[in-house]
Amino acid sequence: MPNAVEVSGLRKSYGRVHAVRDVGFTVGYGEIVALLGPNGAGKTTTLEILEGFRTRDGGTAEVLGYDPGERSSARELRERTGLVLQDIAVEPYLTVRETIARAAGYYQAPRGVAEVIGLVGLTGLERRKVRSLSGGQKRRLDLALGLIGNPALLYLDEPTTGFDPAARRDAWHLVHELRAAGLTILLTTHDMEEAQALADRVVLLSGGVVVAAGEPAALGGRDADRARISFRLPAGCTPADLPVSSHPANGMVVVETDTPVQALHQLTGWAIRHDHALAGLTVERPSLEDVYLELTREGAPAEAPERTTR
Amino acid sequence: MTIAIAAHGRAGRPAGQRSSLRLLAHQVFYEQLSFWRNPQSAVFTFIFPVVFVVIMGALFGGSGKSSYFGGLSALQYYVPTIGALSVLGSCYGQLAVALAARRQAGILKRIRATPLPAWAYFAGLLAHCVLVSVVDIALIVTTGRLYGVPLPTHWLAIMLTLVLGAASFCALGVAVASVISNAEAAPAVAQLVLFPLLFISGTYLPIQSALLNRVAGWLPVRPFNEALTGPFARHTGADWRDLAVLAAWGAVGAVVAVRRFRWDPRPE
Repeated sequence: MPNAVEVSGLRKSYGRVHAVRDVGFTVGYGEIVALLGPNGAGKTTTLEILEGFRTRDGGTAEVLGYDPGERSSARELRERTGLVLQDIAVEPYLTVRETIARAAGYYQAPRGVAEVIGLVGLTGLERRKVRSLSGGQKRRLDLALGLIGNPALLYLDEPTTGFDPAARRDAWHLVHELRAAGLTILLTTHDMEEAQALADRVVLLSGGVVVAAGEPAALGGRDADRARISFRLPAGCTPADLPVSSHPANGMVVVETDTPVQALHQLTGWAIRHDHALAGLTVERPSLEDVYLELTREGAPAEAPERTTR
Repeated sequence: MTIAIAAHGRAGRPAGQRSSLRLLAHQVFYEQLSFWRNPQSAVFTFIFPVVFVVIMGALFGGSGKSSYFGGLSALQYYVPTIGALSVLGSCYGQLAVALAARRQAGILKRIRATPLPAWAYFAGLLAHCVLVSVVDIALIVTTGRLYGVPLPTHWLAIMLTLVLGAASFCALGVAVASVISNAEAAPAVAQLVLFPLLFISGTYLPIQSALLNRVAGWLPVRPFNEALTGPFARHTGADWRDLAVLAAWGAVGAVVAVRRFRWDPRPE
């Protein structure tokens, strides 16, 4: 089966600012893929090219078998894609039901209005005016508008920005439900926790190029990376007293090792023999955050000015 | 309203062959709904022209025909010009401001992402504006009647002028919304262009300068005033010369609108 989205060598400049320099990735049917990166990395521009809002300067892009830059097929493509933008964009004076019913009228084969209201959790609020909804409820309405056309592919541009933690959990849960219902989802986020919670695969962008791609657990090779053992140096000891080589970091001692089991054995044996406590002892793999910071720092050379995407 | 309700009713079920007319009715229904629900737009669009006619009636109510008003009574003069003003407000003014605001809020972008064709969106807006204009004119004529202004006789010419005027001023409104980039500036820019034009076109006071009348005759507002005053007060039919000038301005607006209109809040 071909992919829902295929992008390669994508380029887009605004004047002298290279927003997207070389972006390539695929999204399989039924997959959730996150475009992750700092502001100005090119996430939104990439998404907007795929949505047909912007023309590309170079490269190829295919969405559900269509070229998103091709005007003659734009309407057919819009029948099959849904999107939720960064900003809440709904008219204030209509009710929830009216807002969704209006959008439903634009599609050949929309989902049922009541069904979508239930899906996004707005049941009971059908007759409420949009302007009296809370921010979170408006966001749900926004999502309902993205789903009403019964799309095969849904774009979510920073779907939980500004959410409180509980609302964010709910939104994540909903995204998983949508995928379970067969939807393919391409989302952008600058939140690593979100990428980790939602995405089957993450495409890490920085400075308009893809700096890493893969499953969140393996991104940047972090599953195979060295473990970090850190603890507070016992009073009266110097790093030279330790049985393994180490370096100081943030008032702690850090041991980086490919063989954490042996290193821990040596360390704890040494501590017991000398009756030392290893205060604050932790063992960890590099977090997605570490990988993110590492890769986005390297990937964004100083001479490439970033266009802030809002 | 039956068409609109039918369109409303079909929204939920899977549509088969969808006709353009139904799509248009669907669009107009929801434009009307948003419009009537917004107290501000409804009040400004309908109360202001009526109040204006009432004030003029209080000032000039008893006076008869005078040469100052071109051989008409004061209210005979003001009913069509205020009628024209209300059409300007509900077409040009409304669209320039509302479209700039909708673009800034991302509502236009959102609509662009649906399969709704652009023509249907704009035709829906136009039909909505024509409907609002018709209600406005009816209110103004009724108010004028209370002050003894005779009912117009050439309804066909009035309808023709009204539709052409509404279309032209809608096009100009979309054109203005296309060239201004932020919604905060939209009302100011729209009024800045309109206000002097209204004055020199005799909307508020009859203009006695032949030169000014000739200049204003080539601008969009005076031809519309004149084209409405004829069938309203002078019992003449459609004024083709004035309608042609109006249509030409509409065409200019349409060209600018088609070339410059943006759905996206941010420039490419």
